[in-house]
Amino acid sequence: MSGFAAFARKEAREIRRTWRIWVLPGILLLFALTGPVLAKLTPQLLGALGGDQLKGLVLPTPTYHDAYAQWIKSLSGTALFALIIVYGSIISAERKSGTAVLVLTKPVSRTAFIIAKAVVHSVFLAVLVVAGTLITWGLTAAIFGQAPGSALWSSSIVWLVFGVLFIALMTLLSVLIGSAAGAAGAGLGAYALVSIAAIWKPLGTYSPAALTKVPSSLLAGNDVAVLWPVLTSLVLAAMLFALAALTFRRSEL
Amino acid sequence: MSAAIRTTELTKVYGEKNALESVDLVVEEGSIFGFLGPNGAGKTTTLRILTGLARPTSGSAHILGRDVASAGNAVRAQIGFLPDVPGFYEWMKAEEFLRFAGGLFGIGRPILDERVGMLLDLAGLADVDTKIGGYSRGMKQRLGVAQALINTPRLLLLDEPTSALDPMGRKNVLDMLMSLRGRTTVFFSTHILADVERVCDTVAILDRGRVVAQAPIDELKARYGQQKVVVEVTGGADELAEQIRRQSWAAAVYRGHNGAIEVTVTDVGAAQQQIPTMIAARQLGLSRMEAGEMGLEEVFVELVGGVHP
Repeated sequence: MSGFAAFARKEAREIRRTWRIWVLPGILLLFALTGPVLAKLTPQLLGALGGDQLKGLVLPTPTYHDAYAQWIKSLSGTALFALIIVYGSIISAERKSGTAVLVLTKPVSRTAFIIAKAVVHSVFLAVLVVAGTLITWGLTAAIFGQAPGSALWSSSIVWLVFGVLFIALMTLLSVLIGSAAGAAGAGLGAYALVSIAAIWKPLGTYSPAALTKVPSSLLAGNDVAVLWPVLTSLVLAAMLFALAALTFRRSEL
Repeated sequence: MSAAIRTTELTKVYGEKNALESVDLVVEEGSIFGFLGPNGAGKTTTLRILTGLARPTSGSAHILGRDVASAGNAVRAQIGFLPDVPGFYEWMKAEEFLRFAGGLFGIGRPILDERVGMLLDLAGLADVDTKIGGYSRGMKQRLGVAQALINTPRLLLLDEPTSALDPMGRKNVLDMLMSLRGRTTVFFSTHILADVERVCDTVAILDRGRVVAQAPIDELKARYGQQKVVVEVTGGADELAEQIRRQSWAAAVYRGHNGAIEVTVTDVGAAQQQIPTMIAARQLGLSRMEAGEMGLEEVFVELVGGVHP
């Protein structure tokens, strides 16, 4: 247990002291800061860009809802792609550099190695999503004068579950595929498959595939089933972490 | 005395290549054991199996009485390991890495403080304040030795520990290994024969995945090392070497440095008596004649079939 705690502390320090502190936090901070501003300025921007061509077009007045939609769209698109790329090397980088050998010849089991990474990076993502959502919420309130919280928070938290699922998937892929680019490519492929699978109603309602659209639906105030896709995603994430640990235990370093 | 390491018919096959073939090793507790072999002999593969990084295709490996395949943390808590090219978190500093390594063993604060200071001194890194990413290979190797000692291991496993070190660093590491004699079992692989001869009490020689010899160094030299006579003459060395080669007591004749004739002999007395007679009969001048035991290098070359100069 002490080995697990020491390794988990190392993971947390590594986030703070390396490029990891800049990439995902930078991307999410940028979206959180610019989302409400862009939502507010969209009519003026379109008007300026379109010139006379858009003269007759009446654009609706932006609301807090547009700011929230901007945030969720950014999470579901660019942020998720960044997460997939960043975590493509979560295990393979330690194998390649030889650090895994020094750690795993000490009293740290391979399962503890995987679980420590899973816990620390899931918490890291949760902190980022909470921080980004808070900033979006606060800025939206400041810019639009009103910012009801429940739809924004429920959408963001549902997306967080989807993000944790992809951390689990990337952990497994990084165990299976030595190349970070290869694992990232496979992760992006998996995302494309999940998005396609969501078209089929049963999968699009009950499975993790539903989480590709549930955050936006929640935000739009639609009546969507959240419990099943969240539960199946959490179960699948746990299974992927377990499979990653099992595969890692069986592999040679 | 109990065995710190015991392997039984340890075999490792990669595809069609036998990296290890039925390796039987016994390393007594408290010994400094040299694991010798040319590059590609299977030394690193053996160490990877002993540390649980790889699994044997067949056979078994026991460390401190426990099967490596199933013992897990119980074994790892008692060993220190230095791989041939140690990999560090390059954003850390040496002290930070040693504290991290100590934390993995669950070593508490006051003891860890003391050990970290002592090991930084030993590694010559006490005054180095840069991140590990900026270290030379030698500095990383010294830090690697230090981290392997953080838990005061019962068994220290080192893969080529001196290969990246300068002469001073090499001497320091070898002195440190000698200072562990009797307290910690040291098992180190190397192809540097002088290191083994200097610090080890027991040695195994591995060649193409097979153990070709395993014994205390003195016993090994006595068993395989016939005695050697070195002769230097003022001229006619080729003809004299040819005549010596035909004698029944001459097991092998080589040409050494400066035209010296090196003769591996089965009867040193006969050689010492007859070689001067041959030189006198050929009316050659005798510059030097020495008789002595073969060194580990000759034993090694003889056993692994290397090319002698």
